[in-house]
Amino acid sequence: MELLSVRITISYKDKPPVLDDLRVDLQPGEILGLVGHSGCGKSSLALAILGLLNLKGGKALGSIRWNERELLTLKEKEWRKLRGKEIAFVPQSPMSSLNPALRLGTQLEEAWKLHGQGGRDQMEETVFRSLLDVSLPAKEEFLRRYPAEISVGQAQRVLIAMAILHRPALLIADEPTSALDAVTQSEILALFGELNRRLGMSLLFISHDLVSAYTLCHRIALIHSGKIVECNTPQAIFFSPQHPFTRKLIAAIPTVPSASEVEESLRFNLFNS
Amino acid sequence: MKTMRIVAITVLCLTALTILGASYLAPAGYEQQFRETPQAGPSAHHPLGTDDLGRDRWARLLYGMRVSLTLAPLAALFTTVLAGLVGGIAGYYGGWTERCCKLLIDLFLSVPWLFLLITVRAVLPLNVSPEASVTVTFALLGLLGWAASARVICTGAKDLMKSEFVWQARAQGFSGFKLVRLHLLPNLRGALLAQFWISIPVFIIAEANLGALGLGVAEPLPSLGSLLRELQDVVTLRPEPWRLLPLAVLIVVISSFQALLNKQEVRA
Amino acid sequence: MALMGVVSVFAQDGGELRFCLRSEPKTFNPLLVEDEASETIRYLTGGVLVRVNRVTLKAEPELAASWKVFEGGKRIRFKLREGLKYSDGTPFSAADVAYTMEQLMDPALHSSTGDAFRSAEGKLVAQVISLSVVEISFPAPVANLVNLFDTVAILSAKSPQKEMAVLGPFYMAERKAGSYLLLKRNPNYWKKDAAGKQLPYLDSVRIDIEQNPEIEALRFQRGEVHLINTVSPAIFEKLSADNASVRDAGASTDTEQLWFNQVPGSPLPAYKKAWFTSTNFRRAVSEAINRGDLARIVYRGHAVPAIGIISPSNKFWFNSGLKPHPYDTASALRRLQQDGFRLQGDTLRDRAGNAVEFSIVTNAGNRTRESMATMIQQDLRKIGIKVNVVTLDFNSLLERMTQSYNYEACLLGFQNAELDPNSQMAVWLSSADNHQWNPKQTSPATAWEGEIDKLMRAQAASGDEHKRKQYWDRVQQIAWEQEPFIYLINKDALVAIAPAVKNAAPSVFRPQTYWNVETLALTQAH
Repeated sequence: MELLSVRITISYKDKPPVLDDLRVDLQPGEILGLVGHSGCGKSSLALAILGLLNLKGGKALGSIRWNERELLTLKEKEWRKLRGKEIAFVPQSPMSSLNPALRLGTQLEEAWKLHGQGGRDQMEETVFRSLLDVSLPAKEEFLRRYPAEISVGQAQRVLIAMAILHRPALLIADEPTSALDAVTQSEILALFGELNRRLGMSLLFISHDLVSAYTLCHRIALIHSGKIVECNTPQAIFFSPQHPFTRKLIAAIPTVPSASEVEESLRFNLFNS
Repeated sequence: MKTMRIVAITVLCLTALTILGASYLAPAGYEQQFRETPQAGPSAHHPLGTDDLGRDRWARLLYGMRVSLTLAPLAALFTTVLAGLVGGIAGYYGGWTERCCKLLIDLFLSVPWLFLLITVRAVLPLNVSPEASVTVTFALLGLLGWAASARVICTGAKDLMKSEFVWQARAQGFSGFKLVRLHLLPNLRGALLAQFWISIPVFIIAEANLGALGLGVAEPLPSLGSLLRELQDVVTLRPEPWRLLPLAVLIVVISSFQALLNKQEVRA
Repeated sequence: MALMGVVSVFAQDGGELRFCLRSEPKTFNPLLVEDEASETIRYLTGGVLVRVNRVTLKAEPELAASWKVFEGGKRIRFKLREGLKYSDGTPFSAADVAYTMEQLMDPALHSSTGDAFRSAEGKLVAQVISLSVVEISFPAPVANLVNLFDTVAILSAKSPQKEMAVLGPFYMAERKAGSYLLLKRNPNYWKKDAAGKQLPYLDSVRIDIEQNPEIEALRFQRGEVHLINTVSPAIFEKLSADNASVRDAGASTDTEQLWFNQVPGSPLPAYKKAWFTSTNFRRAVSEAINRGDLARIVYRGHAVPAIGIISPSNKFWFNSGLKPHPYDTASALRRLQQDGFRLQGDTLRDRAGNAVEFSIVTNAGNRTRESMATMIQQDLRKIGIKVNVVTLDFNSLLERMTQSYNYEACLLGFQNAELDPNSQMAVWLSSADNHQWNPKQTSPATAWEGEIDKLMRAQAASGDEHKRKQYWDRVQQIAWEQEPFIYLINKDALVAIAPAVKNAAPSVFRPQTYWNVETLALTQAH
């Protein structure tokens, strides 16, 4: 039985649809990678699953089935109960996704209060546990900081901590590593993997980066021209790509340069300077 | 920064004490005319001398502060809340709600208030106490002063609604009042505070100028504004420093407010 | 004339005299003048048959070399100077005088200058007897007839320039609306000084429009303007401390007064109307006001407590039998007790127990009036009356005074430009518009107003100055006893005249500093 089953056409205003009868399913505990060019409609899909597409002026036709429930016909009031509790979201740019005017602690606490039940002790316990889950210092001092006072990597961990506060069944991560440096990027990918294993939550990993998807996902779906052109295990995608688009993407993956190439580029740079 | 805050707090506490204790600190009633010594310089009896009618300047300053420094911040608060409400609602909902709010703002900005205020004066009875008159005036200023800043707030709120952290907040399940309270208002704080600051001195001066319409403080009650009005006379103003004290008080009090409430901005 | 001859020896010619006006002249047609700014232009450019000397207050010949009054003011014959020309070269003759008088009295023109000549129904006849003799007959005798011609600038019947062709010392050369007016010397001006030199000495007069008296004073200090006709007491003190040439020309005929609304149809409660129509109440208020303090503190000594309608400086018409109003709170309280008022604690209450409280309205922006109202407020507090001071913009004030009658007491000043009691008809007749405390009455509301009506009509119809003086003395006596207007002070005429201005002889009467403009001169300092 699928956790999420999507058959969807998304269009904005009078323009041609960005996603055209796209079909994708997600199993409980599965990590699914959605890979495609920027602007191919991946993010629109994320918004549609969160029920926020209409705020951006988009229109979704078809069906989104979540645990046997149809989401597209859901009332806003029902949506609110779902968002953040059952389906959580990790955004692309961590620094601008935290409210600059509030302390981290306040943001976590308020996010807890939305769906959490119990008293202050319950809240503190949940917040601290989530911080530990994402390997952040579970200290008062840290919670008193403002977003401007932490690093980008820490900010992304805070956002993930916020997303997993209520132990959602599905985490949607929209390009969660594209704003990070390579080292932090691999740390965050490892964190997603660990959370998936430990907490059993499904992950919809939206990215333009096939390599990241390869390291993290159980399955990868490639989106091109508003449709899924290929969907398979990472190994199958990488070693026997079927669709020309997939082949093009794989061909574009940079390889680790050899020592001589490094030398060459350094010399070139010297001449130019 | 810390010393600045301590100084600011001290100044505001002193101001509050002076305002509360005006009747104990003043050597005479603000209306009492010492007709034998008009326009006197500072003396043991009159620390700041006397005005044109022989009234004690120190007493008038104390009571003027009491009137203006309690009513002007209240009116400024009121106008800031109004601006935040209308601007916030317009920016939050967008669409036709925004168009309605903007229409209201434009209407407010284009109405010739002078005529309206004259009408208000015509409706008010002539026999109102100076206290009632000045309170009505500040209430009017608070009621009318919000439109220009509501527009700024509306633009700010609209930008915020498009910002990523608001999307993130929505994805977490925030909406409605909670979204506004936690994510919009704290980030509009700068704009709202600016509106609050500017409103205080503007209202204090405006109150004095409304005297021309028979509104504002009436004789013999003083206000900071009416005391400042004396400084408008370029020729007859004598170069006596104690006459400038009302101005100094206004500047110091406003700066203290600002130093205290702007700590967030200082840190960022 | 001899005196002028002496001083002009050291006065040099030429230069531009500069001063300010508060507002733009509303008209340049001398027959339609109503505001002070227009009057200034008329004074500087218009040629008149007779000029009232602002120091001696005697009528002096100008365009008319001589005149004779017949039938107690029903008819006047002028003998004109010969060979005069307008500023554009058009010759002047008796026909121009006849033309001007006919224009002036044309009912369609609605000239308030002309109204002064209207003593009875009927038409005026201006008869040209020869090129230089003209006779004007009125349907009934006109009081103060000769002096009235001081305000009639003689137009040209033939000049293509119409009213811009003038006989006065200057003509209008240039103007920029809202900014300035430039008058240049009239090359055809007829008057010469004792040494036979043609007047005026000045080349031009520049008048800037400046609303703010403080700025005007600042410009005077900087030497940018030469004259200020009316200086406030505060500015006067400041300027005299700076050794600038300010002069106190003595008590003027202008009055500042307080009056209560006695209009029966006003929207005031009946008990307040009863207070305000009570003579005892008005006199008690009058006696409780310390006029000496008003003059000493608000006017810094440059004013005298007022006695009545007429300032003592108007020596001929003032009723010297009148005494100053006493400042006596005990007497005020006695008068109030006669009317059933009683002092309860520190609150005065009327017979029905209403606390006595009223508002004084005055025009906003006039600091001296505001100060006076504030002092009166404290004075009346001593007899238990609570006063609220309300300042209103002038239009709102006027609306309350003349339309809605929605006010209790009003503090304003009157300018009495003319000395003759005839000019007071519009105030003292109970049917008049300017009978401020209760205007436009169909029949006199009180016996004393009825008596004043009779006296005013009698003085207007009489050609005998002594009889007129008796009538007018009686009016002053009634006004003193009834106090429909509570006269407060007569302010001094305070003027500022730059040291560079020679031959200045400031008067308390308008135009105070430049009434003798043709003989003013500037020392060429630069």
